[in-house]
Amino acid sequence: MSVNSTLKSRQVFSGKNLSLLAPVFRRYRLRLILGFTALLGVDSFQLLTPRFIKRAVDALETGKASNALLLQCAGYILLLALGIACCRFLWRYLIIGFSRLLERDLRDRLVAHLLTLDSLFFQRHTTGELMALSSNDLAAVQLAAGMGLIASVDAMVMTLAALGFMAYINPTLTVIAVAPMPILAFSARFLSARLHRRFKRVQEQFASMTEFVRSTLSSVHLLKAYTQEQFQAEQFDRMGKDYIRHNLRLSVIQGLLFPFSGFIGNCSLLLVLFFGGRLTVQGTITVGDFVAFVSYLFMLTWPMTAIGWVTNLFQRGATSLSRIKHILEQEPELHDAVSSESFTVNSGTIRLNRLSFTYAGQADPALEDVNVVFKKGLVGVIGKTGSGKTTLCHILTRLYPVDEGVFFLDERDVNTLSLATVRATIAYVPQETTIFSETIQANIALGKMDASMEEIERVAKAASIHDEILAFGDGYQSRVGEKGVKLSGGQRQRIALARALLLDRPIVIIDDGLSAVDTETEHAILQQISSYLQGKTCIVISHRIAPLAEADEILVMDKGKIVARGDHQTLLAGNTFYATIYAHQTDSRARKG
Amino acid sequence: MRYGYGYFEEDKLGKVADMGLWRRIISYSVPYWKRLATAILLSFVVIGASLALPHMVRLGIDRYIVNTSMEISLRIGGLGMLAAFFIGIIVAGFVANFLQVILLEWTGQTIMHEMRQQLFRHMLGLDLAFFNNNPSGKLVTRLTNDIQNMHEMFTSVIVTLFNDFIKLIGIMVILFWMNWRLALILSFLLPLITGNTLWFSRLARDAFRAIRTQLARINSFLQESLSSIAVLQIFTRQEDTYKKFTELTHAYLQTNVYQIKLFAIFMPAIDLFSSFATACIIWYGGGQIIQEQMSLGELAAFLAYMRLFFQPIRELSQKYSIVQSAMASAERIFQLLDTSPAYSPVRLEPDQPDMKGEVSFQHVHFSYDTEQVLSDLSFHVAPGKTLAIVGATGSGKSTIVHLLERFYAPDKGTIRIDGQDISTLNTQWLRERLGLVMQSVFIIPASIRENILLDKEISETELNRIIDKAQLAGVVKQLPEGLETRIGEGGLEFSSGQKQLLAFARVLARDPLILILDEATSSVDSATEILIDRAIASTLANRTGIVIAHRLSTIRRADHIIVMDKGRIVEQGNHEALMANGGIYRHLQELQFNHSEPKINAV
Repeated sequence: MSVNSTLKSRQVFSGKNLSLLAPVFRRYRLRLILGFTALLGVDSFQLLTPRFIKRAVDALETGKASNALLLQCAGYILLLALGIACCRFLWRYLIIGFSRLLERDLRDRLVAHLLTLDSLFFQRHTTGELMALSSNDLAAVQLAAGMGLIASVDAMVMTLAALGFMAYINPTLTVIAVAPMPILAFSARFLSARLHRRFKRVQEQFASMTEFVRSTLSSVHLLKAYTQEQFQAEQFDRMGKDYIRHNLRLSVIQGLLFPFSGFIGNCSLLLVLFFGGRLTVQGTITVGDFVAFVSYLFMLTWPMTAIGWVTNLFQRGATSLSRIKHILEQEPELHDAVSSESFTVNSGTIRLNRLSFTYAGQADPALEDVNVVFKKGLVGVIGKTGSGKTTLCHILTRLYPVDEGVFFLDERDVNTLSLATVRATIAYVPQETTIFSETIQANIALGKMDASMEEIERVAKAASIHDEILAFGDGYQSRVGEKGVKLSGGQRQRIALARALLLDRPIVIIDDGLSAVDTETEHAILQQISSYLQGKTCIVISHRIAPLAEADEILVMDKGKIVARGDHQTLLAGNTFYATIYAHQTDSRARKG
Repeated sequence: MRYGYGYFEEDKLGKVADMGLWRRIISYSVPYWKRLATAILLSFVVIGASLALPHMVRLGIDRYIVNTSMEISLRIGGLGMLAAFFIGIIVAGFVANFLQVILLEWTGQTIMHEMRQQLFRHMLGLDLAFFNNNPSGKLVTRLTNDIQNMHEMFTSVIVTLFNDFIKLIGIMVILFWMNWRLALILSFLLPLITGNTLWFSRLARDAFRAIRTQLARINSFLQESLSSIAVLQIFTRQEDTYKKFTELTHAYLQTNVYQIKLFAIFMPAIDLFSSFATACIIWYGGGQIIQEQMSLGELAAFLAYMRLFFQPIRELSQKYSIVQSAMASAERIFQLLDTSPAYSPVRLEPDQPDMKGEVSFQHVHFSYDTEQVLSDLSFHVAPGKTLAIVGATGSGKSTIVHLLERFYAPDKGTIRIDGQDISTLNTQWLRERLGLVMQSVFIIPASIRENILLDKEISETELNRIIDKAQLAGVVKQLPEGLETRIGEGGLEFSSGQKQLLAFARVLARDPLILILDEATSSVDSATEILIDRAIASTLANRTGIVIAHRLSTIRRADHIIVMDKGRIVEQGNHEALMANGGIYRHLQELQFNHSEPKINAV
C-alpha cells in the first residue's frame, strides 16, 4: 500500500509551510503526544474486541462454552468499550482542541501582522481577499490539522493492523481481497477534487444570487419606478435555474463518491466470499479463519475511503497555509523609525521638498515635484478627480512611504520620527468616512477614548451634528449599524469632523470632508469651527470654491502637479481652470455659450 | 459558513410537530409526487440490497462452506452462483442509490426554485412601507438561507430519514423473527438511545448556534477593521483593535472547545451502547445456544445486524436538528408570503391615451407613522414646464416624489395627472409614464447596453441618439468593448457621475411624459458636472419636469420654483422674483457663494 507516500504529498510536508506551524506544534506538544496515544489506544482496543467475540463463538461451536465464560467475554467487551470511549473522549478533546488552538493562534497572528502593514499593501489586497484568508483558508488549515491529522494516523494504523492480521491468516487471499481497494483510494481522490470544485461553483452561484437579491431589494423603489419587477424576476429565474444545474452537477459526484466506498467494500466481500469460500471448502483455511477474515475486511473500508478524503484535505490545507504564509511574509514599505526620543511639535510647519510619488505598476506619477510649505493658517487644495489630492493627504498622514529629504515636520525629516509621533500631530478628516459599529460617543472619541462627555458634545455641536444625535433614541449611546441607527452620508461626514476636532492637534487636514453636506449646513459648520482652527496649520481639500475663498493660499492641482497657486483673487484673474470652476459653481449662464 | 449582509438571524427552533406547516410544505411537493414516489421505490431497493448482503454471507457459510455433506465441486459451483447473485445485488444497490440521490436533488431544487421565485415576486409586489419596516438583510436571508435550509430538509433529510426508519424497522423485524427473546432484550436499549440522541441534538444545536454567532462577530469586526485600516492607523488604534480581536477569537475558541467536549462525550456514548448490545448478544445469545434455543448462524447474524442498526442512529440527531431549523425557516417564509400590500393596486387603465403631462397636488397631507411630513401642499405644473423644488434636508422634497410615484398614498388630498386622480390609475401604467432619476442608480451585472435598455427594445440608431443626448458617448467610446462592456459586480465599476449619465440614458430610452429628477448633492469633478448639466437639459426638453434641485444651473432653468420648509411651501416664484424677495431662497443662494459672509478664519 502506498498510504505513506500518498499522505506525504510534497506540498504538505515541505519544510517551507511547516516552518509556520512548527512553533505551534512545539507549544502544544504535550497535548499532541497524549492525544495520539489515546488514538492508538482506541485502535488497539478496537482490534482486541473481535478476539473476545471469536473466543466466545469458538467455545460455543466446540460446545465448551459455559455461562461463566460467556459472562467473562461479555464483561471484557464492555470493559474494552469503556476504554475506547475514554480514549475517544481524550483524542477528540486534545487533538481537535489543538486544531482550534492553532486556528486561534494563526488568526491572531495574521491580524496582528495586518495591522502593521501600510496602505500600499491594502491597495494590492482587497478586504474581501483578506477576509477569505481569515475565514476560508484558516478553516481549511484547521480541518487539516484536526480531522485530517486524526484520520490519516487512524487510517494508517487501522490499515496496517488489519492487513497484518489478514496476511497472517492467508497472504494470497489478502492480496485478492485488497485488489479493488486502490481503485477506491484513487477514485475517491479523483472524485473529491471534482467534488470540491463543483461545490465551490455552487457556492459562487449562491453568492451571486444573494448579491442580486441584495442589490434588487436595496433599490426596490427605483425598480418599481422603472416597472422592472417582471424583468428582475425573469433574471432571478435564470439565475435560479443555473443554480439547479450546478447543484445537479455536484450531486452526480456526491451520488458516486459516497456509495462508491460501500460498493468497493462489497466487491472485496464478494471476492472473499468466492475465493475464500473455495479455500475453506478445499480445507486450506478454517471456518473461523474465514469469519475473522471477513470482519477484518470490514475494518478496511473506512481507511480506504478516508485516504482520498484526507489527501484532499491536506492539499487544500497546504494551499491555504501557503496563502496565509505569503501574507505573513509581506513587509511594510513604510518603515517605522525606532526612535524613542520624544518630539513635540512647535510651529506645525510642514515642508514638502520635491515630492514625487508613483503607484506600483503605474507609468505616470500620482504626484510630481510638489514643493510647498504649509504654515499656520489655511491652505486650500483644488483639482479634478485623480489630480493627486488624496495621495497628497495619504503622504501627509504617513500612510505612504517617502524618501529621505522630502517631507519635513518642524524641519525634522519625518523618516527619523516614529509613525505614531507624526500622526499624533495631525487631525484628519478623510474623504471616505469610516464609521464603526459602536456607539456614536465611541465613534467621536476614536482618537481620544478618555474624552469627557462635555468635550464630545462641544465638538458635536461645532460639527452641527449634536441635535441630530439627540434625536436618535439613545442619543450619544445609540449604536451605529444594521440593527442600530442608520446615518446619512452628511451625518457620517459630520461625525468624522467632530472626531478630528476632538483631537485638538496642531495640524488639521480635511480631505473633501463635507461633500455630502448641503451648502447651508456646510456654511454653518465652517463658521462654528473657525475658532477651533485658530493658530493651526490647516489644509482643506474641496471641490467647492466657496469654502476656500478666504484661504491664505489655494493650490490648484492637475495630473499630480501644482499648476497654480495664489489667493482667490489672483487665481480668478490668472488661472482659466480655476475661473471655469468658479463660473460653473456660481452662475451657469456665464459658461453656457 | 454563511452569513448575511450584516444581518444575523437569531436562530429559532421550529415546531417539528406543527401539522399546518407540514401540510403547506407538502402542498409544494404534490405536483412532483411521481418523482418522489420513484425515490421511495428506489430506497426500498437500496435498503433491500444492504440488508440482503449479510444474509447472503450467512447463506454462503451455512449452505456451501461448512456443508460437508455436499460434493466439493457442487459446493464451489454453488458459491459461484451465490457470487453472481451477490454482484447483481450490489450493482442494483449502487445504481439505485445513485439514481435516488440525483432524483431527490433535482426534485428538491425544483421545488425550492419555485418557492424562491414565488417569494421573490411576492416581495417585489409589496409596497415601499414594507421595505422601510424590514431591513434588506433580513429579506435577503429569507430568499437565500431560509430557502436553503428547507432544501436541505427536502433532499437530505426527509428521504434519508424515511430510509433509516424503514431500515430500522426492517432490522427489528428480522431480529424478532430470528429470536424474539433476544430481540426484546435489545429493544430495551431503544428508549435509552433515543433519549440520549434527543438530548444531545438539543445541546449540539445550541453549541453550533453559539459558534456561528461568535464567528459572525469575528467576521464583521475584521471586515470593519480591514476596510477602515487607514483610519485605525492614523488614530493609532492598532493595539486596541488587536486586543479586542483577541478577545473575540478567545471567546470563539471557548465555544468551539465546548462543542468539542460535547461531541467527545456523546459520539463515543453511541458506540458504548453498540458494544453493550454486542455484549448482551454474546452473553444472553450464547446462553440460548447452550440451551439449544438458538443457532450459531443466528448469533452471527444478530451481531452483523446490530452493526447496521447503529449506523443510522449516529446521524439521527444531526438530521433532527436540520428538520428543526427547516421548520423555523418555513414558518418565516410563509409569514412573509402571507404579508399583503397595504393598498391594492388598481388594474384599470385610463380611457385617455394621449396625455399632456399636467401635474397638480391639491391639499396633500402625508405622515410617516406619526411624523407629519407634508401638510396641505398644493401646486400645479403645466404641461412641458419645469418645477424646481428647493429646501433643506428633511423639508419633505423627496416625499413629493414618493407620492407622485405612488410608493405611498397621501393621507388626505389628491394628486392629479391631466386631471385624473392617480389613485384611480393603474400603478404600472402610471410609472411607465414617469421617468425617475435619483441620487442612487441601480446597476444590473450586465453590459452597458442591457443596463440602458432593461426590458425596452429600441433601434440601434435610436439608442445611439440617446447615448449622445445623455452625454454617455464619450464614456462608451473610450471602452474597447463599447456598449457591450460589462458593468457592475465582476465588471467595470462606474463612477457616481457615470452612473448619473446612465440613469439619464435609461429615462430617455423610456421616453416618459413627466421627468422627476432628484439631483445628487455630492459633488463630482467639474468635467462630469458639465456633462450631467447637458444631460439634464436634453432630458428635460419637451417634458414636464419636477426637479429637486441643488445646482444653480438647474434651478435657473426651471419655470417655477417652490421653496419648502417643514413640509410646507414657504416661498414660490421664479429665480429673479425670489432673489428680489430677499427671503429664505435668497439666503440659500447666497450661501452658495458670497464673500461678505465669514468663512474659515484660521489666522
